[in-house]
Amino acid sequence: MEYLLHGFGEVLEPYNLMVILIGVLVGVLVGALPGLSSPMAVALLIPFTLTLEPVPAIAMLAALYCAGTFGGSITAILINAPGTPPAVATAFDGYPMAKRGEAGRALGMAAVASVIGGVFSLIVFLLATPWLARVALEFRPQEYFALTLFALSMLASISGRSSIRNLISGALGILLGTVGVHLTSGVERFTFGVAELTDGIHFVPVLIGLFAMSELLAQSSTAKIAYERITSIVIKLPSKADFLKVRWTLLRSSCIGTFIGILPAEGSTVAAIIGYNEAKRFSKDKAEFGKGAIEGIAGPEAANNAATGGAMVPTLALGIPGSATAAVILAALVAHGVRPGPRLLNDTPEFVYVIFAAMLIANLMFFAIGLGGAKVFSRITLIPRTLLWPAVFVFSMVGAYSAASSLADVWIMLLAGFAGFVMQRHGFGAAPLVMGLILGRLVEESLSQSMIIFDNNWLRFFESPICLLFFALTLLGLFWSPLISALQRRGAPRRVPGAAP
Amino acid sequence: MRPAASWVHGPDLVLALVILAGCGILYYVTSTFEEVAPLFADNIGPSWFPRLMLWSIALLALVLPFEHLFVVGGRKRLDEDRTDRVKPIALATAGLLLLLVLAVELVGMALAAVLVSAFLPLLWGERRYKVLIPFAILFPAAVTLLFARVLKIYFDPGLFGFAFG
Repeated sequence: MEYLLHGFGEVLEPYNLMVILIGVLVGVLVGALPGLSSPMAVALLIPFTLTLEPVPAIAMLAALYCAGTFGGSITAILINAPGTPPAVATAFDGYPMAKRGEAGRALGMAAVASVIGGVFSLIVFLLATPWLARVALEFRPQEYFALTLFALSMLASISGRSSIRNLISGALGILLGTVGVHLTSGVERFTFGVAELTDGIHFVPVLIGLFAMSELLAQSSTAKIAYERITSIVIKLPSKADFLKVRWTLLRSSCIGTFIGILPAEGSTVAAIIGYNEAKRFSKDKAEFGKGAIEGIAGPEAANNAATGGAMVPTLALGIPGSATAAVILAALVAHGVRPGPRLLNDTPEFVYVIFAAMLIANLMFFAIGLGGAKVFSRITLIPRTLLWPAVFVFSMVGAYSAASSLADVWIMLLAGFAGFVMQRHGFGAAPLVMGLILGRLVEESLSQSMIIFDNNWLRFFESPICLLFFALTLLGLFWSPLISALQRRGAPRRVPGAAP
Repeated sequence: MRPAASWVHGPDLVLALVILAGCGILYYVTSTFEEVAPLFADNIGPSWFPRLMLWSIALLALVLPFEHLFVVGGRKRLDEDRTDRVKPIALATAGLLLLLVLAVELVGMALAAVLVSAFLPLLWGERRYKVLIPFAILFPAAVTLLFARVLKIYFDPGLFGFAFG
C-alpha cells in the first residue's frame, strides 16, 4: 500500500502528469494514423526518453501504450482504416454504425469499453505482478531457460501466419543478441572488426528499423491512398440500454483480454479478435454483427485494452514481454538501467507502482481526450502520407543516432528496416525477432549456467517439475495449431464438384 | 486429370536455401572465434551458443519447403504478401534512403534531415511546393533543435555540414 501511494505520489507530480499527457496525445495520434503502430511509436520515443529521469520516461511510454491501442479505434470507426492492428475487429461494426449516422455512439462505446477493459486489467496487474514475481524468485537458471523457451514458442504459435517462420525470427533475434563480447570468456563474436559492435547491437536502432523503416518501405506503394471519411460526429456516451446490453460482453472481454495479455505473446490483436468472436457467440443478435452491432465494438475494444495491462504482468514480474509493445517498453526499461524480472519488485518496487499509476491515469486521460477530441484526431488522416512518412524517417534517423550518438546505429536501423521489409514479405514476424533480441542474453546466460550446473548433461533439465511444465506447454503451443488444422482438414466434408463453396 | 501438387513449395525452397547458406557462412565465422581454454570458459565456449542457434535455424529452415502442407490456407496463405512483385517505388525509396544515410557523413545530420524531407516527398509524387518547401526546412530544423538543444545530443557536422549542439 505504501508503494502504491508512493507510485501515485510520483505520477501526480505536475511534471510527470504533463509527460503522461504528452504520451497519451502522441499515443492517440499515432494510434489513429493507419500504418503507425504502438511498438513503432514507443521505439521512436525511446531515444527521446533516454534523457528523462526513469520515472517520467517509463510513465510516458506506458501512457502511450494504453492510448495508442484506443487511438486505433477512432479511424477504424470513422474511415474504416484501423489505425492499429488491434482495432481491426472494431472496424467490422464501427464503420457500418458510422455510415448510418451513429459514429458518435460507436466512438462513445469504444472509449467506455477501452477504459473498462484497461482498468480491469490494471487491477489484475496490481494483484498478479507481485504474486508472479514471488513465484519467479524461486526460479533457477534452468527454469528461466524453460520459461524463455515457452515465451518464444507462445509468440511463434500465436502471432503471424506461420509458427516455423516466427521461430526462425526468434532464433535470429537471439543470434543477434550474441553479437559482441562473450560475457564468460571475453571473446568477440560476430563483430567483423567493427568497434561499435563490441558492446553488442543496441535495441533502439533495431526496433526503429524493424517497426518504422520496414513499414515506410511498405507504405511507399500506397502513398496516394485517400480515405473516405465520416464528418458529422457528435460523441455520445453509451445509453443505459446500450450499457445493459453490453455489460456481460465488457466483463467477458476484459477477462479474455487480460488473460491473453498475460500470456507471453502478441496480446492486443489476438485479444481483440477473440473478444469480437466471443461477443458474437454469446449475442442474441448474431445477425447484426458486421452490420453495426454495439456489442461488436464493446467486445474487441474492452479486450484489446485489457491486454495492455495484462501484457505488463509477465514483462515486469518475469522480464518476459507480453506483447510487441511490451517488448519495446522492456527494452526501454533496460536502457534506463532497470532490469525487469522478479528482483525488480525487491530492489525497486516503486517502478511497478509508478507504471500502474501512469497507466491508470493514462486510461482516464484518453477517455476524456478521446471523447472530446475524436473529431480532431480523425482529421490527422488528412496529413498527406507523402509528408508523414518522410517525417517518420527524419525522426527515426535522428532517434537512432541519439541513442548512442553513433552513426553506426543509423546504419543498423537502415539495415534492420530493409531486413524487416524482406522478412515481412516472406511472412517472418518482427515481434519474435525483437523478443529474441531482448531475451537473447537471458536465454544464453540461463542455458549456459544450467549446463554448467548440470555438468553438460541435458537430461537433468527433466528433473525439475517447473521445467517439465514449461517444456510441455512449449510443445503444446508449437503443435496445437498444426494439430487443430490437420484435424479440421480430416474432419471437413469433401466438396461435391459443382457445389457452391 | 489434374497434375498432383508438389510436396515442395518452390518459393520456400529458395528461401530455405538462402537461410541455410547464411547459416553455413555464419557457422564458418564461429570457427574463427578466438579459442579459450575449456576451464576458462566453464566448458561453454564462445561459439557453443551461437552454433546451437544456427543449428536450430537450419533445422527449422529445412521444414519451410513443406510448411504449406500443414499451415491453414496452404500455399495461398504463405504467399499472401509476396505474390505482388516489389514495386519500383519501394526499391527507389530504399535506394534513396541508402544515399541519404551515406550523405549524413558528408553533410551532417541536420542537412541530411533537410534532404530527406525534400527528396523523399518528391520521389513519392508530392508537387505542392508551397507545402513542401516550408516542410523540408521547418520540420527537420524542429526535430534537430529538439534533440540538440532540449535533449543535449551533439550532432556531428560532417565534412561540409553544420552542427547543432
